[in-house]
Amino acid sequence: MSNSTETASPAPAELESVQRWMQAVITHPDGVLKGADSEAAQQLINAGAGKLESVVTRSRKLGAADRLAIYANAYYARLLDCLGEVFPVLKRTLGEEVFNGFGFGYLQSYPSQSYTLQHLGQHFITYLDETRPDSSDSAAGDWTEFLINLARLEWTIYDVFDGPGLESIEASDLPDFLELSQTNWLDLHIQTAPCLQLLTVDYPVNDHYTAVRASDDEIELAFPQPSRQHLAISRRDYIVRRYQLNSTQFALLEALQEGLPLGDALERCLDVAEQDNDVDLETDLPQWFRNWSAEICFFAKVTSPQR
Amino acid sequence: MTASPRLGHPDLGFGLGLRTVHYDHILQQHPAVDWFEVISENFIDSQGRPRHILDQIAERYPIVMHGVSLSIGSTDPLDHDYLGKLKSLAADTKAAWISDHLCWTGVAGKNTHDLLPVPLTEHSLKHVCERIRIVQDVLERPFVFENPSTYVGFTGSTMNEWEFLARMSDETGCGLLLDVNNVYVSAINNDFDPDEYLRGIPHQRVVQIHLAGHTDCDTHLIDTHDHPVIDAVWDLYRKAIAYCGPVSTLLEWDAKIPPFDELHAEVLKAKAQLSTDPKAAKSAAEQLKRKVDTDTTDLGTVSTPLHHSAAIVQ
Repeated sequence: MSNSTETASPAPAELESVQRWMQAVITHPDGVLKGADSEAAQQLINAGAGKLESVVTRSRKLGAADRLAIYANAYYARLLDCLGEVFPVLKRTLGEEVFNGFGFGYLQSYPSQSYTLQHLGQHFITYLDETRPDSSDSAAGDWTEFLINLARLEWTIYDVFDGPGLESIEASDLPDFLELSQTNWLDLHIQTAPCLQLLTVDYPVNDHYTAVRASDDEIELAFPQPSRQHLAISRRDYIVRRYQLNSTQFALLEALQEGLPLGDALERCLDVAEQDNDVDLETDLPQWFRNWSAEICFFAKVTSPQR
Repeated sequence: MTASPRLGHPDLGFGLGLRTVHYDHILQQHPAVDWFEVISENFIDSQGRPRHILDQIAERYPIVMHGVSLSIGSTDPLDHDYLGKLKSLAADTKAAWISDHLCWTGVAGKNTHDLLPVPLTEHSLKHVCERIRIVQDVLERPFVFENPSTYVGFTGSTMNEWEFLARMSDETGCGLLLDVNNVYVSAINNDFDPDEYLRGIPHQRVVQIHLAGHTDCDTHLIDTHDHPVIDAVWDLYRKAIAYCGPVSTLLEWDAKIPPFDELHAEVLKAKAQLSTDPKAAKSAAEQLKRKVDTDTTDLGTVSTPLHHSAAIVQ
């Protein structure tokens, strides 16, 4: 091995100019010729569309512009394909052409700055929000809101899939609420699973997600009506699972996720429970916890002052 | 500078690129593949299924890490966070070696996720060599660099790619991953003689060979990794082995991926290429060709890399 330091010398200016120029040319939304004539490219190398061959050689069969276009075409196609894999239901809902239209704009506003394509979609929701139609058009506004909610669900699923989970923990080491005496419950500190993400959406996008995935047919979406859904997205055995929650369950899990002891978490959700006619905390709570711990792994660890 | 063959690395035999569609088959059937190459970026951050699968496969098979984001030729600073993750994954999987490409992927903080060509100049060579030394110091092992498929050349270039690679390897001690399909694709696209390329590289530094298919667009070739290896590339492969001696050989296939057994049969053609029975090799190739869907995708012809993991959702 050499004894080089870990800091490189300044990059050669000429090399940097060529790289910045080529990137400006091949990522230009209007193609290579417009890219070469753009101010960004011209500032680096004064070789407009007519002088490309002063920088890039021609081959026997292709001129410089056509050769650069191979990279330009691949740039958007490759990244749109990846974006579609992150938001597959949104893509099917919109149709490929419309989805790619959004994606094309997104890649210009938020070009990848990461070494991994896993981060490619991280600003897509922000982009959809920033480019939503004028608020005076309520129908378009509702439609955009539905799409943003669907994108939030898909990004959460994507995040949970490859993030931290509980799979490496032995099942016998996971909390079992049947073993705990009820007298201790209020003092328990319950650590939620690292893969548990809670999400409230304003449109029934979870139902839509299920319906789209269950059908191979073209999507014919009725105009979306607002309807709030509380969701828990988690993972077991490396498969992402979605659970619909009532308002009380959501408030309780949210409080536990913030780190409140169970007693404080319950106190916080009492108001919500009182307004929820379908909830009777006294009878529902034990069943919820048994389900959440034994079957669907919402919890990583339970500590009790007595233990 | 002299070097032992393959920088002292073993000849691992005939391997395959690990792809998500084959995970279940590999874990259930334990096919008799010599080794697997994994795309580093698909695993260095994974805390879910991809990493879980890799850990199991690494227990049974030799692993080589192949990256697409080192961007050794870029004028942007090296990403030391990324290098740290490479080092950690290599230790965990006992990776035989780590490779990437002689290319840049982006500049000014952006990543195009493409393997863009480096102008082949003295300045570039000095810049790349300096960065290779840093990478090798951080990773505490020689790095291995692949020749990319290229679609443009620069008027400012002052040397051939094989000369650049030879000098780069000599000055830094790095290894080479010779992609014979990329040699062929670049030769057609840039009007050079692929045989001259093979003669010009330092054979003792070739640690690994890549094989793959490409798409013929009439005026140029694109490195799509979605077809069987063509005869002309097999010819180059035989010549490369004649020059370099036995070298770990890997088949890449990234789109329209056939069932595992067919893919395995294709890489075993490489073994047959080196044997005295060319008929067996040709038969395997023809069988595979019939099964490959040759439809083009809606997005048009996209060169590799296109590496990404989709979520599994219930």
